[in-house]
Amino acid sequence: MSKLKFLKINGVELKSNLKFQTFIGLAAVLFLFRVFIYSADSIIWVIINELFVTVTLASLYFYLLDLIHLKTINPLALVMNIGIINALIFFLFTFSNVILGGLISKAESSNINHGLLYNLISFVYSMFIMGSLATVFLAFRELYFYRQKKNVSTYFNTMIFFFILASISSLLSKSPDLKYIKDTFFIISVLLILINSIRISWIAFIVKKEKISLLVLSIIISILFFVNLIHSSSDNIHAQMLTAFSPSLNLFLKIIMTYGAIYFSILFFTTLFHIPTAEAFDRKAQEVNFLQYFSKLITESVDFKELAETVTDIAIKVCNGNAAWIAWKEEDGFKSIANKNIGYYDSNNLTNFIFKNKLEKNSDQSSIIKLKKYSNRPQLSEEIFYLASAPLKAHNEIKGYLIIAKKNDVIFDDEDNNAMDTFSDYASLAIENSRLLEESIVKERLEKELDVAREIQRKILPAKNPEYRNLSISSVFIPAFEVGGDYYDFFEITKDKFGFIIADVSGKGISAAFIMAEIKGIFESLSQTFERPKDILIKANKILERTLDRKNFVSAAYGVFDLKKEIVTISRAGHCPVLLIRNNIAENLRPSGIGLGLNFGSQFIDSLDEIEIKLHDNDIIVLYTDGITEAKNKELEDFGSAHFEKILLDHSDCSTDEISNSVMREVTLFSQNNSQHDDITLVILKWKQNFNKDGEIEWQNSAPQLKTQVM
Amino acid sequence: MAEFSTSVKDAGDVNIIYLKGYLDAHTAPVLENTFSNLVDNGRYSLVVNFKELSYISSAGLGVFMAFIEKIRENKGDIKLSAMNDKVFNIFDLLGFPLLYEIYKEENEAVSKFSQIKKLENGK
Repeated sequence: MSKLKFLKINGVELKSNLKFQTFIGLAAVLFLFRVFIYSADSIIWVIINELFVTVTLASLYFYLLDLIHLKTINPLALVMNIGIINALIFFLFTFSNVILGGLISKAESSNINHGLLYNLISFVYSMFIMGSLATVFLAFRELYFYRQKKNVSTYFNTMIFFFILASISSLLSKSPDLKYIKDTFFIISVLLILINSIRISWIAFIVKKEKISLLVLSIIISILFFVNLIHSSSDNIHAQMLTAFSPSLNLFLKIIMTYGAIYFSILFFTTLFHIPTAEAFDRKAQEVNFLQYFSKLITESVDFKELAETVTDIAIKVCNGNAAWIAWKEEDGFKSIANKNIGYYDSNNLTNFIFKNKLEKNSDQSSIIKLKKYSNRPQLSEEIFYLASAPLKAHNEIKGYLIIAKKNDVIFDDEDNNAMDTFSDYASLAIENSRLLEESIVKERLEKELDVAREIQRKILPAKNPEYRNLSISSVFIPAFEVGGDYYDFFEITKDKFGFIIADVSGKGISAAFIMAEIKGIFESLSQTFERPKDILIKANKILERTLDRKNFVSAAYGVFDLKKEIVTISRAGHCPVLLIRNNIAENLRPSGIGLGLNFGSQFIDSLDEIEIKLHDNDIIVLYTDGITEAKNKELEDFGSAHFEKILLDHSDCSTDEISNSVMREVTLFSQNNSQHDDITLVILKWKQNFNKDGEIEWQNSAPQLKTQVM
Repeated sequence: MAEFSTSVKDAGDVNIIYLKGYLDAHTAPVLENTFSNLVDNGRYSLVVNFKELSYISSAGLGVFMAFIEKIRENKGDIKLSAMNDKVFNIFDLLGFPLLYEIYKEENEAVSKFSQIKKLENGK
C-alpha cells in the first residue's frame, strides 16, 4: 500500500519510468524472439516479428512523447533536433557499407556463434533507426500542432493510419501481384503528407532573425532528407539489414524521410515568402508590445523624468530612429530632456533650428522634416538627415515635442509616421497623468501647510475678549483660505489698564503665520515693560530688524486704554486708521507712522506719532484690517471705507455685537460672488461713561450672541 | 484670476518699469524677476509707473523693499510715479512717501535722476 502511495506522488516520473521499462522489456523480448525463435521462412513468425517491432516502436514513441511534453515548445529548437538526428542518419547511411560490412565480416570470421553476433548488430542498428524515427516523427507532430488554431488532429491521425497501412503492406510486396497495395498506400501517404505540410502556421510568429536562420536550416535539412531517402531506397547493406530485420520498419523509414523532404521543402518556400513581410510583422508585434507596456506604465509611473526617458527609449525602437529627445516647452523656449544617442548641445541646436525655421507647423499631427533641403543648416550635427516630430499634448495644449532623428539616408515612411502618432498620443496621456499626479501632490502639501498656518493663527488670536464694566468689546475674525496674516490681541497691564493691538503681516501662508507668532511674543512682553504706545512700537521695530526678511513688514496699530483716566492713547505704524465714532461722525485717527520693518533708522522714530483721546460717553473705537475695506465684489470693486463708515454710523446706537454683525452682513453680501482673498478682522470697543446697572442689563439683553466670533 | 504684467523701457540711464493689473502675493514674483534682471545688469536708476496698476497687496509692496537697499547702496533709486488714488492710499498708509520719492508724472521722476546726474557732473 505504502509503495503505491509513493508511486502516486511521483506520478509523472513514474508514468514515464513505467513506459521506459515497458519499452526495455519489449525490446528485450524482441531480441530474444529474434535470436531463438524467428525464422524468415515462416509467415507466422514474420507477422509476429512485425507486430513486436510495431509495439516496441509505439512504446518508444509514447515514452518520448511524455518527455517532450515536460518542456515548452520552441519550433526552432525542434527543427534543430530534426536536423541533428537527420545528420546522424546521413552519416550512418554514408558509412553503412564500411561500418556494417566491416562488422559483419568480422563476425563471420570470429569463432563465436556468428548468427548471434549478426543478430546483435542488426538489432542495435535497427533500434537506433527506431529511436531516430520516433524522435523525428514526434518532432513533426509537435511542429504540426504548434500554433494551430483549428482542430486538425483528424488530418494528422488519418496520415498516421495510412503510414501504418503502407508499412504493414510492405509485407505483401514479396509477391509482385500484391505490390500495388503497398504502392497505393504509399502514394496516399505522400498525398496526405503534402496536404498536412501546407499547414505551417507557426512561421508567422517568429521574428525576422529566426526566419532567416530557419531559411538556411530548412534548405539543408530538406536536402539531407532527400539524400537519406535515396540512400534508404537503394540496395546496400543498410537496406538489406533493415529489410531483414523488418520490412515495414524500412518502409516507415522511407515514409518519414519523404515526409521530411516534403515538409522542409515546403517550409523553405513558406519561410522565403514570409521574409519580405517579416520586418513589418515584427514591427507591428513590437508596437503592440510597447503599447501594452506603456499603458501599464501610465497607471504606475509617477516620476516625470523616468517616464520621459522611457518615452524616448521606446520611440527610437518603434520608429527605427537613431536618436530621440523631447523638446519640452519652457518659459524661455524649448529645453531638451531625456536625450537618447544625442548630446544636449546638438539636440538643442536642432530643436531651435526646427522652430526658428518654422518647420514644425504647430499641427496636431506628427511631421517629417528633411534637413537636406536646408543648405544653410548652421552647425547642426552633420550626421542627421531626417527628423520626425510629434506633439505631446496635455489639456489640449502642446506641452512639447517628441523628436526622433535618423542618421542615414533611409527616410521615415508612413509606417513610422503612424507609429509615431499613436505613440505620441500614448506618451501625451502618460505625461499628463504624471503631471497631474505631481500637481496634486504639491497641492496637497500646500494645503497641509495652510492647515498648519491656520492652526497657528487660531492659537495666537485671543480666545475671548476682556470684560470691563464701562467698556463693551466685540471682535470678528474671518480667515482667508490662504492665511492672510491678520492679528489682534489684548494685553492686561493693570486692573484699569489694558493694551490692544491690531496688525497685518505682509504676505500669506505659513511664513505670515510665523511672523504673527513673533509679533505676539514681542508685544506681549513689551506691553508689560513700556507704557507709551509709541515707545512700544519703536522697540518692536528694533527687535524685528534682527528677524524680519527685507521684503516682509507689518502694519500695526497699538493703543492703551486707561479706564480710570478715561483716556485712550494710540500709535500707528502703517496700519489702517483707527475709527472713532462720536456724535454721529466717523473720525479717522491717523497719527503718522511707517510700517514695522520698512525702515530701521531714525525715519521710523521721527515720523512716529501718538494721539491721546479723552473718552466721551458712547464713543465707539473701531479697529480693522484692509480685509474689510478691500473686500471685492464680482466686478472687483472695493467695499470701500465710505461704505464701511456709513454702516458704523447707521448702527452707532446699537451694541458692539450688533454693529459688528451688521458690518459683517454687509461685507458678506457685497462680496458673495467673489472669494475672500484676505483675512478680515474687526474689533469694536464701546465706551459707556455713565455706567449704571440698568445699562449693563440693557446691553446684555440686546446682545445675546457670543462676544467673540471666530468663523 | 486677476492678471499682472510688467514691461521695461530703456530711457538712457534710467529704466522705466510699467506695471499693469493686480499685484499680489501670487503675481509678486513677476515683479521680483523684473527687478532682479535690471539689478543684475547694473541698472540702478529705476522709475516705476503705476498708471495701469489697479491693485497692490502687502506682498506687492514687499518687492520694492526687497531691492531698495541694494539699489541705494549702488547710488541708484526706485522712484514711484503715476499712482491712482487707491494705490497711493495704500502706499501712504504704510508711510512709503517718507521712504520713497513718489511723483504724479513719470517725467518728473525721470528728470529727477538727470538733475542729480547734472549736479554730480558739475562737481
